[in-house]
Amino acid sequence: MVRDRFISWLGELSNAEQNLVMAMLVVLVGLVVGWLTAWLVRRTLEAFRVDAAVEGTPFERTARQLGTTTTRLLAQVCGLFVFLVAVVYAASLLQIFPEETLFGALISFLPKLFVAVVVVIAGLLVADKAELLVDERLRSVKLPEVTLVSSVVKFSILYVAGLIALSQLGVATAALIVLLAAYAFGVFFLTGLAFKDLLASAAAGIYLLLTDPYSIGDEIAIDGRRGIVQEIDVFATRIENDGEEYIIPNRLVLRKGAMRVRN
Amino acid sequence: MTEIGDLLDDIVADVDDVFLFSPSGSLHERFLDHGIPAVVVAPENEVNAERYVELPLEFKDLAERIRFGIEGALGDDYVEEGDQVVCVAKLFSEDADTVTRVRVGQFDHSGVYDLFVNSRAAPSVIRDVLEVAIELGKKGQKGKRVGALFVVGDAGKVMNKSRPLSYNPFEKSHVHVGDPIVNVMLKEFSRLDGAFIISDSGKIVSAYRYLEPSAEGVDIPKGLGARHMAAGSITRDTNAIAIVLSESDGLVRAFSGGTIVLELDPEEY
Repeated sequence: MVRDRFISWLGELSNAEQNLVMAMLVVLVGLVVGWLTAWLVRRTLEAFRVDAAVEGTPFERTARQLGTTTTRLLAQVCGLFVFLVAVVYAASLLQIFPEETLFGALISFLPKLFVAVVVVIAGLLVADKAELLVDERLRSVKLPEVTLVSSVVKFSILYVAGLIALSQLGVATAALIVLLAAYAFGVFFLTGLAFKDLLASAAAGIYLLLTDPYSIGDEIAIDGRRGIVQEIDVFATRIENDGEEYIIPNRLVLRKGAMRVRN
Repeated sequence: MTEIGDLLDDIVADVDDVFLFSPSGSLHERFLDHGIPAVVVAPENEVNAERYVELPLEFKDLAERIRFGIEGALGDDYVEEGDQVVCVAKLFSEDADTVTRVRVGQFDHSGVYDLFVNSRAAPSVIRDVLEVAIELGKKGQKGKRVGALFVVGDAGKVMNKSRPLSYNPFEKSHVHVGDPIVNVMLKEFSRLDGAFIISDSGKIVSAYRYLEPSAEGVDIPKGLGARHMAAGSITRDTNAIAIVLSESDGLVRAFSGGTIVLELDPEEY
């Protein structure tokens, strides 16, 4: 009944008027769907405990100062995106765009912009969270310079997030990627070099802890140093002999072998 | 009330140093503002004091707390023998409510500070073991009073001066004291005979150990049993310390170098 009357009413209108009605309908639907999306995204984020995870990060604090929360902000961005798409469609119905190509460009650009915004927000959150976690882990090390480590972690994550966002937007990022490659190479290669001995010792230490070839109280000799085992941890074995304590890296145990004194 | 004020003035007259026990930040600041850098004695250095003695246990007995603080300050050369110091502490309330004057060196050197700071094992390990012993003394094992003997530190040597009484339940396990689950395990195993052996880093090396050090020349108060004798002798023979929960009187005692350095009543903690 209502539908028939609506269609006949629509048929009486001129072409331009028809488009205006359709555009208004599209905007209205966009508004509803956008709101629904925002609600759904917020509920999903809350279900995954994102709000608890971002607690205490500077980003969350800034959001709170502005009278919102991180989850709500993310939800609003999603909803706004849906609404924007609807608005662009409505505009194309009204033939505001001078050319069809501009519409196509805008429609393909919007998702990229959306991804870029989400990546930047996520990058900020992850970077803040990583900084907090690293800081907490290093708190027991009472050395002021260790805060540098957490800053490096934070800015590395921000850099990568920024890079992803920029490349989404189609900005030329080749130079930045070269920089990232050099940086990553430096980090991995140099830390690998620096931690080589530690890693080798840890691998050997795990073997020693699992198989227990010697235990505390046994008399052993490693690499010519003989004594009673006092302590075995992941990185080193401590053996003691007449007031002399040797701290022997575990990789030496595997490389040179150990002699156990049986009596 | 001027009499009271005069009395307080007498107490604090001509002192060499001020000791603040677990002070609030504002109290510490008040002293700093007047150019008196007090020695802070607390479980944690929350006020960032320059001269600080860590309290490993919240000694309920104020005398014990002051004794520990002064031995610690003496060990760190903050004060000298014969100095007059004033101690500000909390006894009943949450704020500082007690002022007392002590001459450094007034007590016999009990070695309780050395027990924590200069033992082979880390202070936190000793504290964790003491806490297990205190809790065991408080509750007993299933309501029944139990005794226990923990030998902490120098585990290699202790293992060589002892023999297993039975299969070692901690073999091939890498557990450390201070872990809540391990504390439950330790309590369960406390009905086993023999000693627990714990390494410098807090790893539980063995249970069920029969200690066989030479007991020659170990002098412990009469009336204490074989467990205390074993604890005294093993700490004299090695660089370990021993923490004993007595089955007969329920007290926790710590041994170092063959002598008792600390005696605690678990009920007070």
